[in-house]
Amino acid sequence: MTSSEKSDAEIVCLVDDDLSVLKSIERLLASDGLSVRGFNKPKEFLSHVQAHSVPVAILDIWMEEMSGLELRAQLSGLSPGTRVIIITGREDPVAKLTALQMGVVGFFTKPFDDDQFLNAVRGALAMHPIE
Amino acid sequence: MSERDEIDMKSGEHREAADPSREEQLSLLLTITMEVAAASDLASALDVVLRRVCEKTGWVLGQAWVPNQDGTVLECGPVCFCCGEGGLTKFRVASEGSHFRPGVGLPGRVWELKRPAWIEDVTQDPNFPRTKAAAKVGLKAAVGIPILSGDEVIAVIEFFVQESRAKNERLVNVIAAVAAQLGLVMERKRAEEKLSSTNEILQSILSSMGDAVIVADNEGKFLAFNPAAERMFGEGAAQTASSEWSHQYGLYLPDKVTPFPPDQLPLTRSIRGEEVNNVEIFVRHDKAPQGLWTRINGRPLRGSNGELSGGVIVCRDITEIKKEEFFLFDQSRVLEMIAANASLAEVLTSLVLLMEGQADGLRCSILVLNQDGKHVRHGAAPNLPAAYVKAVDGAPIGPRNGSCGTAMYLRRQVVVKDVLTDPLWADYRKLAEICGLRACWSTPILSPHGEVLGSFAMYRQETRGPHPEELRLTQIATHIAGIAIERQRAQETLRERDARINLAAESADLAFWVIYPEQNTAWMSDKGRKMYGFDSKLPLTRDLICGRVHPDERAAVHAAFDRACASHGLFESEHRLILPYGKTRWVIVRGRCLEDEHGSLLELIGVTIDVSAQKQSELQLQIQREEMSHLNRVALMGEMTASVAHELNQPLTAIANNASAARRFLERGNIDPVLLQQLLQDMVADSQRAGEVIRGIRALVRKDKTVVRSALNLNAVIADTLRLVSSDIVLRESVVITEMDHSLPQVEAVPVQIQQVLLNLIMNALDAVESRPPAERRILISTRSLNGESAEVSVRDFGTGLPKDRPDKVFDHFFSTKQTGMGMGLTIVRSIIETHGGKISAENAPDHGARFFFQLPAARGDSKSQAA
Repeated sequence: MTSSEKSDAEIVCLVDDDLSVLKSIERLLASDGLSVRGFNKPKEFLSHVQAHSVPVAILDIWMEEMSGLELRAQLSGLSPGTRVIIITGREDPVAKLTALQMGVVGFFTKPFDDDQFLNAVRGALAMHPIE
Repeated sequence: MSERDEIDMKSGEHREAADPSREEQLSLLLTITMEVAAASDLASALDVVLRRVCEKTGWVLGQAWVPNQDGTVLECGPVCFCCGEGGLTKFRVASEGSHFRPGVGLPGRVWELKRPAWIEDVTQDPNFPRTKAAAKVGLKAAVGIPILSGDEVIAVIEFFVQESRAKNERLVNVIAAVAAQLGLVMERKRAEEKLSSTNEILQSILSSMGDAVIVADNEGKFLAFNPAAERMFGEGAAQTASSEWSHQYGLYLPDKVTPFPPDQLPLTRSIRGEEVNNVEIFVRHDKAPQGLWTRINGRPLRGSNGELSGGVIVCRDITEIKKEEFFLFDQSRVLEMIAANASLAEVLTSLVLLMEGQADGLRCSILVLNQDGKHVRHGAAPNLPAAYVKAVDGAPIGPRNGSCGTAMYLRRQVVVKDVLTDPLWADYRKLAEICGLRACWSTPILSPHGEVLGSFAMYRQETRGPHPEELRLTQIATHIAGIAIERQRAQETLRERDARINLAAESADLAFWVIYPEQNTAWMSDKGRKMYGFDSKLPLTRDLICGRVHPDERAAVHAAFDRACASHGLFESEHRLILPYGKTRWVIVRGRCLEDEHGSLLELIGVTIDVSAQKQSELQLQIQREEMSHLNRVALMGEMTASVAHELNQPLTAIANNASAARRFLERGNIDPVLLQQLLQDMVADSQRAGEVIRGIRALVRKDKTVVRSALNLNAVIADTLRLVSSDIVLRESVVITEMDHSLPQVEAVPVQIQQVLLNLIMNALDAVESRPPAERRILISTRSLNGESAEVSVRDFGTGLPKDRPDKVFDHFFSTKQTGMGMGLTIVRSIIETHGGKISAENAPDHGARFFFQLPAARGDSKSQAA
């Protein structure tokens, strides 16, 4: 579901190890006219980050290979300008607090409201790069 | 047969000459008739006839022929009349040496034809064997006449003259008439002779007969009253009216006191024309003061015209038979008393009275030996003085202790002819003297096993030893007394044992029963009847007892019972009883077969134990265990919230997103139909996925009554379980490593329960490693096959380990190291494993941390490896 004619600056990256969830969020974003690139494995995303500019990344917390928060930590080293939105399948105040402290721009517990989520993604895209 | 036999009447009439005139013939007939009538026997009558005929007719020779004894030939009789020359004797000699068969010669011809025959000249006759002798003496004509008695020829007479003569019919007729007369006379005489000899025989029989015979005419006058009748009834007074007979001869009904009804007396009835059979009469009169019994048969007497002329009775003395009959009857009455459980005192008293009744002047007593075998107890002595009885009661037995004490001591009969002199009676002599006892013979009463039970004694007031009859009575008395005493002892023992058994049974909730398969009858203790719900009076059968068994188990119980009966072996069964009004009882039944001495099945005896209470608590326990197990699963669910929430949230999120996306695409109006279809397909798949998760949770939490075991591959169950808790493992930042043995045999188990075991162990392991740094939060799950016979699963953590002194304590109830734990998880785990026939253990691993491992037996038919 990548949009090759668009520049990297317009493409939202999505990481979730649950394939059906990954696919459904990709479609939601596409239905709102957004370009999205999904990753099933955190490590694939990390290698993508090294070669591309990523304005916005949506990360799932609970993944077998690596937690979303850990990924966020690594990502901030590789691409400090990337705005991060966290999604999680579990109510977890500690994780939320940690995520906010890490400076994520959104935190959504699945299942989430589609408008709020899309607004948050659009808002993140519209932000000037942090650098 | 010669033609000359034919009597030619015409020619006869022409040659009539020198024959007696009609008057002479009549006088001859008269004379002969009178003389014949006077003759005492056939010989003298024949003599008269032969002589007179020859005298009156001038025929020279008359001879008589009589049939021999077996009636096959005629022999020449000793009587003969000859006149004239002595030459005729030669012919006589020839005749004496002859005998004729029927039809042979003149006599034979007459004999066969039964009518007169005439021969004009015997020398010319072809059927006259004595021709030569006749020719020598010049005999020519002959006539033969039969003498008939009824239809039987009793003699043939023949006459000869020395000239040839034609047949003289008149002469023949005269002689035939004489012969007929002779026949009649002889017939009468024979009858008289016969009668007189019969009478003599009858008389002698009557006098020598043991049975009384009385004959009376139809007026009741005695025609015969034989000596036996006189002995039985006294003098036969011919003049007594029959209505007085009962009184006169002392005739009574069998009750011995009611005079016999005169019109029912056998003689009276037989005179009336009745046949009387086996009427018993008791007879008592001056000459028979003891009385006697007679059995009478009577028959009516009838004249030749069939009219009643009187009656005859034959009376047999059955006094001895009666006595024995009564004695036997009384014996059987005593035996019946025993059988009817009459008291021992009653039975023995009856027995003594019975014996005493068999002989005059006889007194008897029975003593019973105490169970101690040393002292006697009064048994029965109804006709001995009370003082004597009292003195003997409680006396010891010994070698010189009277007749009875000694007999019991020596175990043999002791005969004391005179108690006043016999040394055995030294201690009792005074008493015996006062009581008037002189002789005392005592016999020990023995049980069939030879045990002394008591003694039977006979006392007499004269000094003598026992007669054979008394010895016979003694034998009978000791036999019956033995039965009575032993039965009483046996019953006492039985009662004691019964009481003891019942006491034990009551307190042990035990029912005793005996089934007699042959007779299809059964016995059951009171407790048993209560247990099975039988009325105390109801006669029991095997079928009734088996009928109480719960229908589901009845066939099996029947089969077990039949097996036991067939093998004469043991019977054991645990089953339910259905009582009237539907109450159910759990019982354990155990029995065994008893055989008789020939090895055939006698009875099945056994006990029934009511285990309803235990069963109830067992069932209760089972329910509690299931309840706990369920609680544990619910609790596990609670501990697995992360996994549960995550597992559900994922598909729900996907569905929500897909739905939102579809709505937006539609709003924008640029939806690609292919995309829309994919989207909808994914939504369906995700909702199915959510359903699967919920089903899995429900299966784990459900209270399942029907727990069905199936063949399981434990490796697969472990993989499934890990998937179920994967989120929690991630959340707790732990790692689970698995080492699966792919040759692991399958096990027979309930899937949810095994999952429950694994969940408990995994959650515990996660808890155990929680305090460790994330890098050390490792859990190792491994499986291995134990010789293919069982499968072992090990869950090892690297946590803090178990209590060092007793790692197994963790399986106890309410043992918990956790703040939140209920302390029942591992108890349930152990219970599940043990229910599956397995074993679970806990130990501290060599490095650090705990290891839980359990084995489950391989499923039947899967003792070898099965691919994972």
